[in-house]
Amino acid sequence: MDRRSSIKTLLIISAGTAILPSCLQEEKKPSVSVKNFKISGNDEDIISAVSDTIIPQGKTPGAKDVGAYQYALMMMDDCYSPENQQKFTKGLKDFQDFSKKTINKSFSKATPAERNEVLNAIESKKNIPENVAFFYGTMKRLTLDAFTQSKYYLTKVQVYELVPGKFYGCVPVKKAS
Amino acid sequence: MGDSKKTRTFDAIVIGSGMSGGWAAKEFCEKGLKTLVLERGRDVVQPKDFTTTNMMPWEFKHRGEIPYDIQKANPVVSRCYAFREDAQQFFVKDTEHPYIQDKPFDWIRGYQVGGKSIMWARQTQRWSDFDFEGPARDGYAVDWPIRYNDIAPWYSYVEKFAGISGNKDGLPNLPDGEFLPPLELTCVENYFKDFVAKNYKDRNVIYGRCAHLTQPKQIHLDQGRSQCQNRSLCQRGCPFGGYFNANSTTIPWAEKTGNMTLRPFSVVHSIIYDDEKGKAVGVHVIDANTKESVEYYAPVIFVNAGAYNSNLLLLNSKSKRFPNGLGNDNGILGKYAAFHNYRASIRAKYDGFQDTKSEGGRRPTSAYMPRFRNLYKQETDFLRGYALTFYSDRWNYNDNSGFGEHLKNNLLKEPTLGPWGVGSGMMGETIPKETNFLSLDTEKKDDWGVPLLKINISYDDNDEKMIKDFFEQMTEMYTKAGFTDIQTNDSKQAPGLDIHHMGGVRMGKDPKTSLLNKWHQFHNCPNVFVTDGACMTSTSTQNPSLTFMAMTARAANYAVEQLKKREI
Repeated sequence: MDRRSSIKTLLIISAGTAILPSCLQEEKKPSVSVKNFKISGNDEDIISAVSDTIIPQGKTPGAKDVGAYQYALMMMDDCYSPENQQKFTKGLKDFQDFSKKTINKSFSKATPAERNEVLNAIESKKNIPENVAFFYGTMKRLTLDAFTQSKYYLTKVQVYELVPGKFYGCVPVKKAS
Repeated sequence: MGDSKKTRTFDAIVIGSGMSGGWAAKEFCEKGLKTLVLERGRDVVQPKDFTTTNMMPWEFKHRGEIPYDIQKANPVVSRCYAFREDAQQFFVKDTEHPYIQDKPFDWIRGYQVGGKSIMWARQTQRWSDFDFEGPARDGYAVDWPIRYNDIAPWYSYVEKFAGISGNKDGLPNLPDGEFLPPLELTCVENYFKDFVAKNYKDRNVIYGRCAHLTQPKQIHLDQGRSQCQNRSLCQRGCPFGGYFNANSTTIPWAEKTGNMTLRPFSVVHSIIYDDEKGKAVGVHVIDANTKESVEYYAPVIFVNAGAYNSNLLLLNSKSKRFPNGLGNDNGILGKYAAFHNYRASIRAKYDGFQDTKSEGGRRPTSAYMPRFRNLYKQETDFLRGYALTFYSDRWNYNDNSGFGEHLKNNLLKEPTLGPWGVGSGMMGETIPKETNFLSLDTEKKDDWGVPLLKINISYDDNDEKMIKDFFEQMTEMYTKAGFTDIQTNDSKQAPGLDIHHMGGVRMGKDPKTSLLNKWHQFHNCPNVFVTDGACMTSTSTQNPSLTFMAMTARAANYAVEQLKKREI
């Protein structure tokens, strides 16, 4: 696409956006592309927010810094069965409903405290719809994997030795480094 | 490629470049024979083709996992423990090379120079006469035409070159070898070793013997190899040459002589038998890429295609003299195929030794218990017995409950050391039977015009009884040793996943009931030798690769002598 026509397209898109009713604005495109199931930009925001709430940023890197939600979506797309992908997207929808019911707003627009309230409710395991539990459980596992198998974690926290050298079969625990 | 017959004529042809074929290549080339080595897959040159060997965990897109669509399309290979993102390039995918399972059989294969020697589990124990005399004593299969004394010097020969770590244990049922220092046992493994020695006659726990350079000798340095670094990433191929695979050892050694012609992408369709000359004269090869037919000639042919592929190409080698496959006058070619029973395992916890742990490298072996059942006399309602691994480890873990700051803080903490976990896996001898057999499909062929292999192999009552006994004996030993939370598991996995494929072209004394003589030659076509797993008369309870290597070196040196004497 040449520059002129892209500008034209942009103009059309923004013009279109300006006159569309606001509810349809929610159908923004996701920045991550998946092949085997559908998510919207809104869904992506929620998935990202869930991942960031599970391992928040702070003084040290969190889920966001290791690309955890992108990893989660990629793994869901590549390594999960169609049945589980369906369960995941269904769970995502149910999770949105669950959030609205719990904090009266979308998870992606919630404050950190409100997000904690939603996840605490799920962690309590009391009357949680199965798909919501599946969605959260999967997000947590994939976020943990992304974090604990990231370059950051394996070079700065628990250092992975590619070439560990000698194996010591029986040493006192005290000597642990 | 020259097209005159002369350029396609060699002193020896070796079909296959893996665990055993590499040895045939090395022996022939060292003795000055111009040797053609045929490999159906691609070339794998170390270190450049060990492409994943130095990758960090986070560099694998799926952190090791094989994507769903690949698993779905390739259920057989996906059941193999080593078929992961880091080594998947060395495994044959189901879709690439189909075969027919008359009964469920997980045929795990590696089609490349080096074959499965790149991804093998590297455990190397010698056979003893308790194994070689098994069929004759217990009345199954046929008597082996060789005994331990025939093969012992060749075990030493290959062990010195390959580099085997182990401890001299002085056991009659597991002869000592030429060992580099053993890898250490953990405190719990040492405890169990002492416990078993004190409480059970004729039962022993030993340091696992494995093909790792714990302390390289000059011969290993000469191969360009160096000390094993306990990475335990062996299935990727090793940049140190720390363990034995053909690509780091036998194949480059053969290459260095200038006598080897290695031809990758060469599917051997069949062995050419000349009815007039009354012997095999060469091989019919299909180029894997161009599908072009080429014939190669040599006075001696070694079949090392991997046990069941060796059966396949021999069954497909039909001539006027041998209408049912090479050497197959008695109709037993493809029959009496066997494997190892890997279904049973056990694990438990141990509360002792809380003040100790292991650390440093990732040990590429474990402790090992040689067969103790039915050793000196028949004592159970099943024939033969099983060997087993014994391992123990303490897992580091971080509390991953909850979410948020709480979870993150826990993940950043020094991990907690869990209790000792212990476990054992069974390796059971299976009894070769006529009803466990390989055959060719009469209609279906692969892309190279070779009939598809049909595999008809299953467990029997003896295997089931053995699993039960393993659970009983191990539960008793574990309980007495003070292990708790004992859990037994029967994986119910199909035969084949053990990747110890054997038999179909068995050795024996009598041409009526066997195909190969004591030198691995066909009784009725003595310039063709079979020295991979296909030749096995019985299976014993040892990981078989070391025996294939020793047998190949022995047979190759015999073949060279016979060639010199113009006997073949």
